Amino acid sequence: MELQLEIMAIMNVNATRMALLTLKKKIKSAERGHKLLKDKQDGLMQKFMGVIHEAKTAREEVEEKLGASFKNFIRASSLMESGFLESALLYSTAETNLGVETKNVMSVRIPTFDLKVEGEVVNYSMVQTSGELDISLQSFLDVFPLLIKLAEIEKSAEALAEELEKTRRRVNALEYRMIPDLKDTIKFIQMKLDEMERGAIINTMVVKAKIEAAA
Amino acid sequence: MQQYKIAIVGSRETILGFKALGVEPVYANEPKEALESMFALKGERIESGGESRNKYAIVFVMEDLMTYITPDDYKKLTSDPLPAFIPLPSHLGSTGYGLKKLKGIVERAVGMDILN
Repeated sequence: MELQLEIMAIMNVNATRMALLTLKKKIKSAERGHKLLKDKQDGLMQKFMGVIHEAKTAREEVEEKLGASFKNFIRASSLMESGFLESALLYSTAETNLGVETKNVMSVRIPTFDLKVEGEVVNYSMVQTSGELDISLQSFLDVFPLLIKLAEIEKSAEALAEELEKTRRRVNALEYRMIPDLKDTIKFIQMKLDEMERGAIINTMVVKAKIEAAA
Repeated sequence: MQQYKIAIVGSRETILGFKALGVEPVYANEPKEALESMFALKGERIESGGESRNKYAIVFVMEDLMTYITPDDYKKLTSDPLPAFIPLPSHLGSTGYGLKKLKGIVERAVGMDILN
């Protein structure tokens, strides 16, 4: 008995019927909360698994394609004087705007990006620039939507991961700390109340016996 | 739908091409410089429809400038829904930082690395 009491975590409450009732209510809501959070965790995890694999493929694709684009660009810039290059790029009238909408997936805000490029990227004289520049800018334009996609997926994965971590902590706190503690305390109070009841019965029995002996 | 801007942080020669696409270039050669400009970009806000919001939704950063960011700074940078800081491999090739970042995300979410 002594040993069992040691591993039981009993909260600091009075061993009364009143406290027992409140604790019983508390454990009920704790259990319901635990179930809900567990469901949320499962849902998030399912979503996360889909997103993270997508993120990995997107990242690998970007690394491959962007590397090629950069190589093109470096080659183009090595063929031109830096002053010409910069002035050529200066006249680009392209303007990017990013429409952002946030979706709510299980209380996680997930962004979706919608890219709009307006104006002309190639807007320079053909005389002073090399053909490689056209090619490299075109390849940048081609990877651009991919980059936006990557940003969207990675940010979603990050947000989901954060929420998952939080949810997991909450689930664990409820499962391994709060609910067992409440259970132990309820058991403790119940035993204490039973003990008091038995004590009261013995008392009456002793008093009754004494009265009978005196009579 | 609200309109945002895109920025890119990196060395002059690498991000010049992106400038032509209409992405706002922020030049930085040192990781420290890059970190400062990342915080500055995160802090930039514009007024629209009576409320102030982030100006940038995505900030691309060259991988080689991101490798030395401490986890603390990283947490501060990514604490808000926007902007998203996305590492990109530079012309020197991939340093593996992007995939390492993904691994970190998985570890946070699942508790162990289950990619591969």
